[in-house]
Amino acid sequence: MKPDVAQVLVDLAGRVARNAAPQIPAAQRAGELGLSAMLLGLAAEMWDGAAEILVQENAALRGLLASGARVSQDNARRRWLVELAGGRDGSLRLSALQGANAELRVALIALHAELERRDDPEAKDLEADIWRELVAGAERRRLSGSPV
Amino acid sequence: MEEAELTTRLAGYIAGQMPQARDVAISNVARITGGASRQTYRFTLSWTEADGVARQRGLILRRDPADSLIDTERRVEFEAYRAFHGTGVPVPEMLWLEEGADALGSPFFVAEEIAGFQAGPGALWSSPYLETHAILGARKWEILGQIARADPTALGLAGALPAVRAEDCWRRELDHWEAVLDADESEPLPIIRAAIRHLRANPPPPAQKVGVVHGDYRTGNFLYDTEGGVHGVLDWEMCHLGDPLEDLGWSFNPVWFFGRGMPGGLLPRADALAVWEQASGLRAEPEALKWWELFACVKGQAIWVSSARAWMDGANRDPILVYPAWALINAQDRAALHVMERL
Repeated sequence: MKPDVAQVLVDLAGRVARNAAPQIPAAQRAGELGLSAMLLGLAAEMWDGAAEILVQENAALRGLLASGARVSQDNARRRWLVELAGGRDGSLRLSALQGANAELRVALIALHAELERRDDPEAKDLEADIWRELVAGAERRRLSGSPV
Repeated sequence: MEEAELTTRLAGYIAGQMPQARDVAISNVARITGGASRQTYRFTLSWTEADGVARQRGLILRRDPADSLIDTERRVEFEAYRAFHGTGVPVPEMLWLEEGADALGSPFFVAEEIAGFQAGPGALWSSPYLETHAILGARKWEILGQIARADPTALGLAGALPAVRAEDCWRRELDHWEAVLDADESEPLPIIRAAIRHLRANPPPPAQKVGVVHGDYRTGNFLYDTEGGVHGVLDWEMCHLGDPLEDLGWSFNPVWFFGRGMPGGLLPRADALAVWEQASGLRAEPEALKWWELFACVKGQAIWVSSARAWMDGANRDPILVYPAWALINAQDRAALHVMERL
């Protein structure tokens, strides 16, 4: 989730403090505080589950990349996938988990594109697995007020 | 720029545009929150005519911020409004466009205020608006059909907007928004990248006509009343020439369902389609429309990640830029899965 929650909270704190000043026009104050409140609500919901979601997703992606390392027909990609699939989340800091998640997603996109170009059953099976995980990931990240 | 300085400089600018008027003054300046691509203010202009008659008019100022959600030329928006003013497509009258930064620090335009109606979708989900959804929805897609039916040359827009061939509409738009994603995404997006590969592998047929595309036609971008009437179509900053199905696909983007399971939260899909086809005189061929619906997911995602990028780069710390990034990026992924029939 970008922008980072912590950075946004710092910004909102300053914004709320500024809106406490009596000379702020009422309409501006209402608009800024209303939006700030909405973002605080989103932050609260995302914050609680953020680490768990990333840990689950990173584990699922490493599993797919390990399968990809066996199936890929590109030697360089196989080595890349083996390396990423063997990684682990050594830190539970969100920034570290997000960094790892981004690396894994980049590799997944490359693997997915390769599998789409192939017709063999092994590739199609793994492609189906990737779609299942993409759907599951979107479900994990779903917010309670999501319009979809 | 502080509001007091804005008021003074705007009054000076308008006085220069109305040399016949005396006592030009501005009052009741109020920022309208919610716009992420332009800063919007309503204000009252008062002046005295040469014959001594005192007059007042409610106006709107749309000014570019330091960094907006959508990078567009304000002339495009101005010309689009001006072209449709006085046609069956209701839009506010445009008064002055300033593309330089001298007058107010950044480009802006001034337009008529259409007062007394709702714009944001929030009011739609309770009475008395709830009872008017069928009427409002029909009017919404009727107007979109009228935009699709319009002749860009007759409107004077053919010269103001970049030309495109019917067979190139899809590629130009997809190239543009993929480049925005490449430049602005802060996290890799496997679902949207898969959608882009699918779109490139399965292009739509050439556009039935090259028409005017509003570019952001959705619930929330028009002024509506308690009877289901529409009094102004707003936010033309992404207007361009292209395939009219693009607007229809965007209006069917599931992120605009507002959790109500139907386009715009207003009308069943089949009803909206029938109204649009009748008003436009065009046919929404299902496979072509599906292509544009998936494209709408790519375009939406590009806009949401750009919003995150603008905030993160620090050029514009308006919290309105955070909202779409947090609330809509996963929703847009889910919408793409929905359109691809994987969710």
